[in-house]
Amino acid sequence: MQDKQFMKETLVESAHAYKAGRMDRRTFLALCGMAGVATSSVIAGDAKAAADHVVMWNWGGQSVECHGSAIGDAFTAETGLGVKYDTSGPLEGKIREMVDSGNVTADVADADLFNAVSLGPTGHLEPIDYSIVSKEKTLPQYALEYGVSIILYGYAFVYDTEVYGDNPPKDWKDFFDTANFPGTRALYKWANGSLEGALMADGVAGDDLYPLDMERALNKVKSIKDDSIYWGSGSEVHSMCVNGEASMAIIWQNRGRNIETDTEGRYKLVNNQAMAMPGAYIVPKGNPAGRDAVMRYIATAQEVPAQLEILNCLGMTPSNPAAFGEIPEDQQPYAITSAMNIDKIVYNDPVWWGENGSEAVNAFLDAIS
Amino acid sequence: MAPFVIVVLAFYAGPLINILWLSVTDPEPGIGNYQKLYETDALGRILWTTFRICLITTFFSVALGYSVAYAMVHAHRKNQHIMLTFLLVSFWISVLVRTFAWLMLLGRNGLVNESMEAIGLISDPIRFMRNELGVLIGMVHYMVPYAVLPLLANMQTLDTRVMSASRNLGATGTQTFWRIYLPLTMPGLIASSLLVFILSLGFYVTPAILGGGKVLMVAEYISVQLLVTLNWGTAAMLGTLMLFSVLALLWIMSRFMQLSAVFGGGAAR
Repeated sequence: MQDKQFMKETLVESAHAYKAGRMDRRTFLALCGMAGVATSSVIAGDAKAAADHVVMWNWGGQSVECHGSAIGDAFTAETGLGVKYDTSGPLEGKIREMVDSGNVTADVADADLFNAVSLGPTGHLEPIDYSIVSKEKTLPQYALEYGVSIILYGYAFVYDTEVYGDNPPKDWKDFFDTANFPGTRALYKWANGSLEGALMADGVAGDDLYPLDMERALNKVKSIKDDSIYWGSGSEVHSMCVNGEASMAIIWQNRGRNIETDTEGRYKLVNNQAMAMPGAYIVPKGNPAGRDAVMRYIATAQEVPAQLEILNCLGMTPSNPAAFGEIPEDQQPYAITSAMNIDKIVYNDPVWWGENGSEAVNAFLDAIS
Repeated sequence: MAPFVIVVLAFYAGPLINILWLSVTDPEPGIGNYQKLYETDALGRILWTTFRICLITTFFSVALGYSVAYAMVHAHRKNQHIMLTFLLVSFWISVLVRTFAWLMLLGRNGLVNESMEAIGLISDPIRFMRNELGVLIGMVHYMVPYAVLPLLANMQTLDTRVMSASRNLGATGTQTFWRIYLPLTMPGLIASSLLVFILSLGFYVTPAILGGGKVLMVAEYISVQLLVTLNWGTAAMLGTLMLFSVLALLWIMSRFMQLSAVFGGGAAR
């Protein structure tokens, strides 16, 4: 019995090695021959069950190539495990549904850190194993029990230089000031960032934002309701800007970079008072590749080269402080943790959003509709 | 027969019961989710918006659909085919494509606004889109083919000799229409109104995009509660409410006419 178990493990190991290209076909076949099994059964059966890849659940678009070049390649080289992608977007409800139904098909989700706060304690996530993942390779407030920030994205805003050429808006105060800066504003429909921007416009200091004063924020948002339209997805706000529908728009800073390029500089990104949002990796409970493999994947994503490549490819800002100083010159204006911007940004509190996000989103939708 | 009944029960009734169950058990057992209906103003407002928009959409879609169907029935056979082709093509174009087409046509910098500005008709662009008007334009446009088809089926079965007889007995064209034609097409009108209204209740993409975030209808709200805020109980409650509203509508209709006649599109009775 012991021997059989050993033989099986050896074969599964070598199936992995063969698939990853570390073992040639002849050796593998010879091993199978010695063990007296058909190769197909090893590859198709046990190797598959033992999972020879991790499934990354993200939002599609460029992120597949970018995660591949930034993290996937290094991870495969290091561990021999492949990376596959599910690009359907890990919304909180879908993660909950996946875990509750017991049919977990993704290993790691490219989500928000506040998802870790709301889904972790309810038993939908695996805790992060900080013996493999490093707490030092992210901002201290963003290494939580059920999720760790891998990148930062920022809620900043863009403005139309043809509308405000001589007197450009500089901060959230100007963004919410339709008297001195007339024109249509585009705000984020799911409240995030829009609420913080409104409070800062109303005079709340960046350090005193949390807990958010909802009433004050919503009143500020309502004050520009007639001049506002609301977007729900990045492509929507992108077209609102490219079509000239919005004169100013709250936007993810990496989208802002693309809009600047696409409009040949007509729209300009303002990173002053940008809200740093911790994008995080979270692991659905019972992920198929197992804890070890997925934790090693996360650890790879924390490394400086991966961080810089994600910035280069997707425009997402590193969250590993060791990478802050290495942000290249041409990315400085767009990365919110670059030397150029880091003193002007405000940090989002994922714990507040995890605990109060549902009510906040509903209250916001109610206020704008 | 029996196996089919089991299939229907498993695939339709099962999930429906699950939704009903969820609406009284999540997050805690009781009727808390239903109490929210009158406890929170927001829900009432969303339901009212949905109802109002669906009603207006139904009115305009059926009015337009009636004219189109009337024109089609009375057109030459060749033209009839051309008209039907156009109708079906617009029927098949996806809702997303149509929504974006409206944005390009009637948006702030769309074709219509740009042209009117160019010829000096207006100085500021008209806000057709990103508001309730935009939602109505998009929804009515989408719904017209749905309104036409039941009406067409109904009008095609009418005995035109009745109208000739009416004219022959001295009625004017208008009188014939109001007193003979319209009552005869009533089953078609009701079927098409019902169809349009029920389908409108579930609209999601069009209001979300053309409404500029300011027109929140129940379908989008349900999706938010499911995917973003995780209030599955609230979502299930709203889903249940929608289901029973539709069933109630059908029941009311059944008091006035045979539903099979309505959906068969043929003459009543």
